Amino acid sequence: MTFIEYAWLVPMIPLAAFLIIGFFGNRTPEGGGYIAIVGAVASFVLSLLIAIEVFGGSVATPYVMETPWLKISEDITLNFGIYIDNLAVLMMLFASFISSLIFIYSVGYMSHEGEKKRRYYAEVSLFLTAMLGLVMASNFLEMFIFWEIVGLCSYLLIGFWSFKHPEGDDASDAAASAAKKAFLVTRMGDVCLMAGLFVFLYAFQSLDYAVLFDYTVIQTVDPDMIALGSILLFGGVIGKSAQFPLHDWLPDAMAGPTTVSALIHAATMVKAGVYLVARAYPLFVQSMDVMLVVALIGGFTALFAATMALNNMNLKRVLAYSTLSQLGYMVMALGAGGYVMAHALHSGDVEAVGGYTAGTFHMMNHAFFKALLFLGAGSVIHAVGTEDMRKMGGLGKHMKVTSVTMLIASLSIAGIPLFSGFWSKDLVLEAALEPALEGAGIFWLLYIMGILTALMTAFYMFRLWFMTFRGEEGEASKHCHGESPRCMTVPLMVLAVFALFSGFFILAGFNDLLTFSFVGGAFVVGGHGHSAMYVLEHLALSPYTYLSIVVAVTGIYLAYRMYRVKDVDPGRFNANGESAPYKLLQKRYYFPQIYNAIAMKVTYPVALAVNYFDREAVDGVVNGIAGSITGGSQELRKVQNGLVQTYAAVVVGGVALIVVLLYLAGFLTGGL
Amino acid sequence: MIPISFFLVLSAVLFVIGAYGIMTKKNGLVVLMCIEMMLNAANINLVAFSAFLNDVSGQVFVLVAIAVAAAEVAVGIAILLNLYKTSNTTDVSEINILRW
Amino acid sequence: MSDIVLSLLLFTPLVGAIVALMMGGERQKYARYVAMVFSAIPLVISLYLLAMFNMSQAGYQFLEQYTWISTSFLHIQYILGIDGLSLVMVFLTTLLVFLVTLFSFEEKERPNFFFALIMAMELGLLGVYMSLDYFMFYIFWEVTLIPMYFMVSIWGGPRRHYAAIKFFIYTHVASLIMLIGIFALAFGAASLGGSGQLVFAFDYIAAAGFSGVFQTLVFGLLFFGFAVKMPLVPFHTWLPDAHVEAPTAGSVLLAGVMLKMGSYGIIRICFEALPEGAVAWQIPMVILALLAIVYGALACIAQRDLKKMVAFSSISHMGMVLLGLATLSEFGIAAGAFQMFAHGLITAVLFMVCGIAGHNIGTRDIPLLGGMAAKMPKFAAFMMFGFMASLGLPSLVGFVAEFNIMASFFFWAQDNNVVWVVIIALSSLMLTAGYYLWAMQRTIFGRVTDRVDLSHVHDVSTYEALALGALCGLIALFGVFPALAYDFIYPVAESLAALIGVI
Repeated sequence: MTFIEYAWLVPMIPLAAFLIIGFFGNRTPEGGGYIAIVGAVASFVLSLLIAIEVFGGSVATPYVMETPWLKISEDITLNFGIYIDNLAVLMMLFASFISSLIFIYSVGYMSHEGEKKRRYYAEVSLFLTAMLGLVMASNFLEMFIFWEIVGLCSYLLIGFWSFKHPEGDDASDAAASAAKKAFLVTRMGDVCLMAGLFVFLYAFQSLDYAVLFDYTVIQTVDPDMIALGSILLFGGVIGKSAQFPLHDWLPDAMAGPTTVSALIHAATMVKAGVYLVARAYPLFVQSMDVMLVVALIGGFTALFAATMALNNMNLKRVLAYSTLSQLGYMVMALGAGGYVMAHALHSGDVEAVGGYTAGTFHMMNHAFFKALLFLGAGSVIHAVGTEDMRKMGGLGKHMKVTSVTMLIASLSIAGIPLFSGFWSKDLVLEAALEPALEGAGIFWLLYIMGILTALMTAFYMFRLWFMTFRGEEGEASKHCHGESPRCMTVPLMVLAVFALFSGFFILAGFNDLLTFSFVGGAFVVGGHGHSAMYVLEHLALSPYTYLSIVVAVTGIYLAYRMYRVKDVDPGRFNANGESAPYKLLQKRYYFPQIYNAIAMKVTYPVALAVNYFDREAVDGVVNGIAGSITGGSQELRKVQNGLVQTYAAVVVGGVALIVVLLYLAGFLTGGL
Repeated sequence: MIPISFFLVLSAVLFVIGAYGIMTKKNGLVVLMCIEMMLNAANINLVAFSAFLNDVSGQVFVLVAIAVAAAEVAVGIAILLNLYKTSNTTDVSEINILRW
Repeated sequence: MSDIVLSLLLFTPLVGAIVALMMGGERQKYARYVAMVFSAIPLVISLYLLAMFNMSQAGYQFLEQYTWISTSFLHIQYILGIDGLSLVMVFLTTLLVFLVTLFSFEEKERPNFFFALIMAMELGLLGVYMSLDYFMFYIFWEVTLIPMYFMVSIWGGPRRHYAAIKFFIYTHVASLIMLIGIFALAFGAASLGGSGQLVFAFDYIAAAGFSGVFQTLVFGLLFFGFAVKMPLVPFHTWLPDAHVEAPTAGSVLLAGVMLKMGSYGIIRICFEALPEGAVAWQIPMVILALLAIVYGALACIAQRDLKKMVAFSSISHMGMVLLGLATLSEFGIAAGAFQMFAHGLITAVLFMVCGIAGHNIGTRDIPLLGGMAAKMPKFAAFMMFGFMASLGLPSLVGFVAEFNIMASFFFWAQDNNVVWVVIIALSSLMLTAGYYLWAMQRTIFGRVTDRVDLSHVHDVSTYEALALGALCGLIALFGVFPALAYDFIYPVAESLAALIGVI
């Protein structure tokens, strides 16, 4: 017996938890919280057992199990099943692991929610089901189904307080609006993704990974169709992973509970887009142009989002921009790596790609430290009751565990050597560098963007940390009621361990497990990467590694001078918040207004015009015909004037007319 | 023998006079008389053809028609009387309540 | 049993209607139990049919055939029979009638007449979906009108008389044009057959072998009749008015199964009897479908009345049915037919929810509402479920239909080198999500409204919750296992596509 045969249970366990909590949650303690935890932990344990089998090489990957779902035409049958390879296992592992930790944390964080707890735990369990289903799906349609369900959960959980918000009506309205925005903006990408599926379905007559990723099949298909499908698929990624220009829903999504921000909008769901790029790599690498677009969008988002984090005062918003920026990193790495691979495929010299490893590795590391940051922020918000960093400060004294774990996470995301973020961020930058060094000039631009992003990241993260935990106490810090309960701090500590050490996985063989390569006429995930020593040597000898370290330290030092020692006044650079760039950043580059304008200034007036046209023109014609018939009849009936003599005259006239006509008819036909 | 056309012309003249009377006369009684005139025009035709064709059934029809016309006159005059009672006139151009 | 089962199914509602009608005066309070029993029996029979239906056998099953009128001039028969498509529609009809009865269980105003009308409507609907003789088809087609007319004009809203008359005359005029088409078919078949006797049986006419020009012309006549019923833009304006004024039960049956008579007619009559006409009319059908989809969705955004919004969404979704059918491929026809089923289930939830809003809150005006989730959590949950299903959330039945229709349309566009038109169709998905989410934001989320007196608001009642719960369960069931219904429909689509493909 192997555990992988029972892999379908992995999403089924949280599904069962969802159903139990949904129907009976209020009769169990904590509104079903413990059931959700048990479900998540069970999923994690099973995932772990499967991971041991898969990584240990005792089962052949990809492991595929499928059953027909719907026959839609003579040649096409859609299937439903599971497809497990190294990438899927990695995603399963960290999705279920982080979910378990966050569910445990939620017991403390959501303890005041009363009746609403049932809804919360049901929704997060459903989310976990869908997330696991997404990564384990055996074909694009199934993936898309779960893709949309995680979107639904995101919608529901952002809008968790869309009515009866503890902070009042305005907050309710804001949450409702944010939830709608998140759904609609990602929907835009999803429609693209759907169109991409149509293209693949048409080109391959199937959506099964096993068919689509088969190099012999790919070679028989029109490469333009694959490129078109890939770029449309990437539209979905832009929506879900909040890349420019569909990024602006993510900052608003912070209206949900902080645990939700940590789980969905930092650690797991937003990674689905990155996962999709990695998953569809065999298709994406068919075109260099597609990969260039991917890399450019990713690199630009990384820089673009980081700028908005520089001057934001909202604790969660800063983290949200940071998430955007890091997602951009991952997409950029995948794009740059894919560009190299696509180039190699064209020239026939195919090798394993570092970008793929960098993207997926950063995805995993980011999940740990960003979840930690959000949970730490949640701990702070839980204690002080505000998200405004200006009202915080000096919390380090009250909340030792939170401040230390947050510090670890900040060091990690800033890319200080030996912390997990350092390894993966460096791989990302190196992935951008590789095509640049091989002569693709545009990647120099991406590399510079990456370096600038690294500088900003270090700066804003330490700005956040100093403003929150150091310095004199703000007004909200005064009624801080100490460290959070144990069920909240333990997950923080566990995550901190990972934020510290998960980078070393690269030396423990991660690099070998998650490479994308072309072996013997087939695309393979894992098993053919560079050795750990090679990576280490490469890192240590490359001058660019030291550049990124210098940049990170500079960023931290700047933040230290501005927000800890305070001998450099940040107001000096932006005319005390009056300068145009400062305002531009505060206004999020006017993206909310642009979205709003598209909805309310373009679509809504068009809709009103259509409605007006409908009532006045289309219905007007209908009512007009009816009216003219009734009106005409009104006039016509006046002929019936009640005078016998008129009637008699008409009869006589009529008879005379008939006689004349008959006579004429006879005359004309020659009869009579 | 008098040619058939003489009878036909007579009947046509009578018929047209009756029709003209119906359309123009205001007094209901006169209108009624005009109707009788038209009826008799038709009767003349029937009798004339009957004699001309040596077929007696035409004369039978005429007798039936005269009998029916008598009854009809009775009904017509009764209506006129009632009309006179209710609206105090026999002027048909003023009786127009049966309209839209 | 199986040789009269369809007649039994057809006439049970008639008996039910008569019995319910007799429950006047003192016995009024028993009318609903009569209705419950007599709407449950057809449901049970249709489940029996589902179980007994032989999916591997082509053509119609459970056939019944009797001669009704036979002269030297006319030969009208009573023929009943079902294939996979009719079976699914029969199931949908009996299901919705049963659930509507359950939903309206507490109807106070002349319940005997009300339930009798519902069942009379069921008679007409089942007749349309099962009869295989054009003459009978037409009779039942018209039978559905009369109960609906009374339902709107007696139990309707303030402008009920206007709406009822508009509904009746508009659709009746269209039916007459369709009747001309039917006579053209019968006369055409008679002259080709050389017998001079008008035979109205489906199979006789389908086998007549009309010329291409004849098919194109008659297709136009019949298609107009069906297009008004579906309804397609620009022949749709009777629908929003009728829905806004109709009582909930009427709206559910109107949108849930009556509109499907139009698309059913297109499949069963237009495609089956006039395949060449279908090919000739393909481009106009695609254009009309796209127009309906986008126009309906845009009109939804502008609506203030929740129910009117849902009515326009029906127009948009029925446009999607036509879009699938217009591809003339087995993929598209099956997808369109599946959308008929999916939309029937979903729209029932939507209209029930609108009915509850109007009844329990007192207004359906979106700008007046807000924060209803805090006051009516069950209502909010059902509303959200219905809206999500309607906007095509995967794992619910609407998605399967929508995805397949869009995919089949993409296939068609790709084969005809007009891929860009897919963008028009896909844009409607955005618009659909937009109006539903916006409506939810303004009605159930956000601050609790102070523009409506909420002191007497009560949540969904037990009977209403039962009906809604059953529908939601089925929506999820068929969303996860669409093959349960799709496999019935697919063989029909396959044979039709083969028929059309020959040309």
